[in-house]
Amino acid sequence: MLQATGLSKSFGGVRAVRNVSLAVPEKSIFALIGPNGAGKSTLLNLLSGIYQPDAGDLAYDGRDLIGMPAYQRVRLGIARTFQKIRLFKQLTLIENVRAGFHIHEDTAFWRYLVRGSTGRFDAEARELLEFVGLGARAHERAGALPYGQQRMLEIARALATRPRLFMLDEPAAGLNAAEVEFLLERLADMARRGVTLLVVEHNMDLVMNVAQRVFVMDHGEALFEGTPREVQAHPAVVSAYLGGEFAA
Amino acid sequence: MSDLAALVVQQSLNGVYLGCLYVMVALGLTLIYGVLNQINFAHADFVTVGAFTAFFAATRFATKVLGLPDAAGYLLSIIAATGMGAVLGLAINAAVFAPLRERGDELRPLIATIGVSVLLENAQLALFGPIPYQFDSPFARETIRIGRVFFSAQSLLVVLISAASIGALYAFLRFTFLGKALRAVAQDRETAGLMGINQGLLIGLTIVIASALAGMAGALLGPVLVLSPFAGASVIVKAFAIVIIGGFGNMQGTIIAGILVGIIEAFTVQYLGSGLIDLVVFVLLLAMLVVRPTGLIAERKEENV
Amino acid sequence: MIAALPWLLSSGYWRGILVICAMNVLLALALNLVMGYTGQLNLGQSAFYAIGAYVSTLLVRSLHWNFWVASLAAVVAAGFLGLALAAFAARLRGHYLAIASLGFAVITYQVLVNWESVTEGVRGLYGIAPPVRGTVALFYLVAGIALVVYALMDNLVRSPVGDTLRAIREDEVSAASLGVNGAIWKAFAFGVGAAIAGLAGCFYPGFVGTLVPDAFNIVESFTMLAMVIVGGMGTMIGPVIGAVVLTFLPELLRGFGELRLMIYGVALTLVVLFLPGGIASCFKRRA
Repeated sequence: MLQATGLSKSFGGVRAVRNVSLAVPEKSIFALIGPNGAGKSTLLNLLSGIYQPDAGDLAYDGRDLIGMPAYQRVRLGIARTFQKIRLFKQLTLIENVRAGFHIHEDTAFWRYLVRGSTGRFDAEARELLEFVGLGARAHERAGALPYGQQRMLEIARALATRPRLFMLDEPAAGLNAAEVEFLLERLADMARRGVTLLVVEHNMDLVMNVAQRVFVMDHGEALFEGTPREVQAHPAVVSAYLGGEFAA
Repeated sequence: MSDLAALVVQQSLNGVYLGCLYVMVALGLTLIYGVLNQINFAHADFVTVGAFTAFFAATRFATKVLGLPDAAGYLLSIIAATGMGAVLGLAINAAVFAPLRERGDELRPLIATIGVSVLLENAQLALFGPIPYQFDSPFARETIRIGRVFFSAQSLLVVLISAASIGALYAFLRFTFLGKALRAVAQDRETAGLMGINQGLLIGLTIVIASALAGMAGALLGPVLVLSPFAGASVIVKAFAIVIIGGFGNMQGTIIAGILVGIIEAFTVQYLGSGLIDLVVFVLLLAMLVVRPTGLIAERKEENV
Repeated sequence: MIAALPWLLSSGYWRGILVICAMNVLLALALNLVMGYTGQLNLGQSAFYAIGAYVSTLLVRSLHWNFWVASLAAVVAAGFLGLALAAFAARLRGHYLAIASLGFAVITYQVLVNWESVTEGVRGLYGIAPPVRGTVALFYLVAGIALVVYALMDNLVRSPVGDTLRAIREDEVSAASLGVNGAIWKAFAFGVGAAIAGLAGCFYPGFVGTLVPDAFNIVESFTMLAMVIVGGMGTMIGPVIGAVVLTFLPELLRGFGELRLMIYGVALTLVVLFLPGGIASCFKRRA
C-alpha cells in the first residue's frame, strides 16, 4: 500500500534518514522500531508529508506522494498522531474530534454564512469518543484530560478523517500498563475494521504482541525487517538496542 | 580627494553616526529577545522616556539648579537617562512582565508590551503635551574638520559612547560570571535553571540592561529626534528592521545591521530626500523577511515535531 | 434597542460618537476574525482601513463614481491587499508576522503621505460628503451594516469553517494532519478581515468630512488590538464589547484631561495581566 524507496533527509549536516526503503502491505500492522535518535520520527514525518525528502520516492496505492503537502495526503486516507501530543487544548473533546471531519464536509460555503453549524457529524464524533472510552467527557476541555486520555483523544480525532492508513508515533509513550492494554485492544479493533496501521514504538511488548511485520532502524538507516520473532532473535538488532535504550 | 569621494566618505561617516544611534536602540531589543524570546514593543517608548529625562536633566536641572556648564550638563543628562531607563525597566518588569512569564503564553506577553507602549506614550502625552521640544546638545555646535570631511563633536561623542557601551556589554557577557549565566539562559532556559541559575534575577537584569541602553540611546538621540511623546514610533520601526535584518538575539548581526541601516539612510537622504527613508527601510525589511527570516547571520532552527 | 440609541442621546456630539462606535465595532470584528479565530497577530489593519477610505473617496472624487460602487471597489481592493499580506506572511510565525504586518501598515502610511499627486499627502482632502445626510441616518447605516456583518460572521464561526479556523489557531501542524490547508484559510481570514476594515474605512471620510493620512497611523492598529483584547479575543461578542467600552470610556473620562487616552494602554495591560479572556469571559458559563 505504501512504498518508500531510498528516502533520505538531512538537517543542516545531520543525516537523519539515509536511503531507507520500506513497503507497508495493505491491511497489516507494521511496526517501526529502533533506539533513540534512529530517525523513526523523521521517517514518519516524511511519510506523512510534514517534511519533504531530499532524495527518494514515495508511493501510496501507486500514487506518487513526493511534493504533496501533508494536508493533501489526509484526503487520500493517510492519518497520523504525534509523539508530542498536539491537541487543540482550548477546545472541547467533541470539538477536537469534529475538526477531523472537516475533509468530509462538502456543503457549499455560502450555506455556512446563512445557517452556521449543520451538526452533521456530531453523532459520528460521539461514536469515536465512545470508541476510545471518552464518551462521557465530550464537553470537557481537552487540556484538562490526563495524559493517557489525551493520547486516546488524539487517536479518535485522527480516526475522524476515516483513514485507510493510520500512522501512530509512539502511542504508548507515557501510558501505564492498563492504558497500554486498552490501546492494544483498540489497535487490534481498528485492524479488524480494515485499517492499515504503521506504529512507531519503543515498547517491545506492544510491538511483539500486535505487529505482523517489524522494521528496525538505527542511525538513520534500515537495519533489518522481518516478523517479530525474527527481529527479536537478530543479533544486530539486539546490539543496537543494548547500545541505546531498551524498553520492555 | 575628488568631490565624489569626499561625498561618499562624508555620507558614510554620517551613516556610521546614525548607525551607532540605531544600534544603541536595537541592542536592547535584541538582548531582550535573545534571553526572553520576546519582542518588546514598549522599547522605543523607553527611548523616548530617556530622551525626555535627558532633556529635563540637561536644560532644567544641570544648568539651572546645579549651575553646570552646558557640556557637563549634557553628559550628566546621559547618565540620568540611562538610570531612568534602568529604573523604568525594573518597575515595568516587576509589574507586568514577570507575572506574565509564569503563564507561558507566547502571544500575551507580546500584547502586554503593546499595552505598556500605549500607556507610556499617553502618559508622556499627558505630562509633556504633543508639541515637540527642542533639545540642543552643546556638542552639536562644535564642528571638527578633517580634510574635506566635516562632522560634529556630537557625532564623535555618540560614536565614542556607543563603542564604549558595546565594548562594555561585550566584555560583561564574555568575561563575567553574570554575563556567562545570561548567555546560558539565552541558549537554553530550562537547562540553565537546572544548573542553579536564578532565572528571574537574570531576566530582570537583562531587562534593566536593555532599558538602560534604551535610556542612553534616548539621551544620545534627543538632539537628532523630533522630541515628542511619539518620537518612539519613528525609531521603533527602524529598530525592528535592524533586529530582524541582523537576526533576533544576535548581537554582532544587530550591530552590523544597525550601521548598515544608518549608512543606507544617510545615502537615501542625500539622493532621495528624507521623506522616503522609512519607506526604503521597510521595503528592505519586508524583503528580508521573505528571503531570510532568520536574519543575515543566524543559524536555522528546525521546529521539533 | 440599538435603533433607539440615537434618540436617547440628543446632542449631536454624542450621536457622532455613536457613529464612531459602529465603525469601531466593524474594525474590531475584522481584527477578531484574524486574531481571535486564526491566532495570527495582525498589526496591519490600519492599512486596510486607510485603503478603504482613500480608494472610495478618490473614486468618487476623481472618477465621479457612485458612492456604493466606489465602496464596493474599495472593499475589494482592501481584501486583495489582505490576501497579499497573507501570501507574503505565509511562512512567518508569531513575532515575525506581527512585525511584517506592522511594516505593511507603515509602508501604506508612508505611501499615502508621500504620493502627493494622488492623496494630497499630509494636507489631505477636504469637503467630503457622506452617503446619507445627517448623523442619525449615518449611524443607522453603519450600525445596520455592522449588525449584518456580525450575523454572518457568527454563523460562519459556528460552522465547520469556524472549527477549521480555531484548529489553525490552536495547532497548525496537527490541523494539517487533519487535512486543513493552513495557508488558504489564513489567507481567507486575512482577506475578509481586511475587506471588513476597508468597509469601515469607506464611511469614515464622509463622517469626518476630511481625509488625512494621520487618521490611519499605526496607532489605530494598536487601538483596534486593544478593543479586541479588552472585549475578549476569540468570541463574537467580545470585539463588540471592546469597541463599545473603548469608544465611550475615553469620552466619559473627559474630565481627566489628556490622561483619558491612557485608558487604552491601561485597559489593555490590565486585561492581559488579570483577565486574559477579556470582558466577555466574565459572562461565559463554565461548562
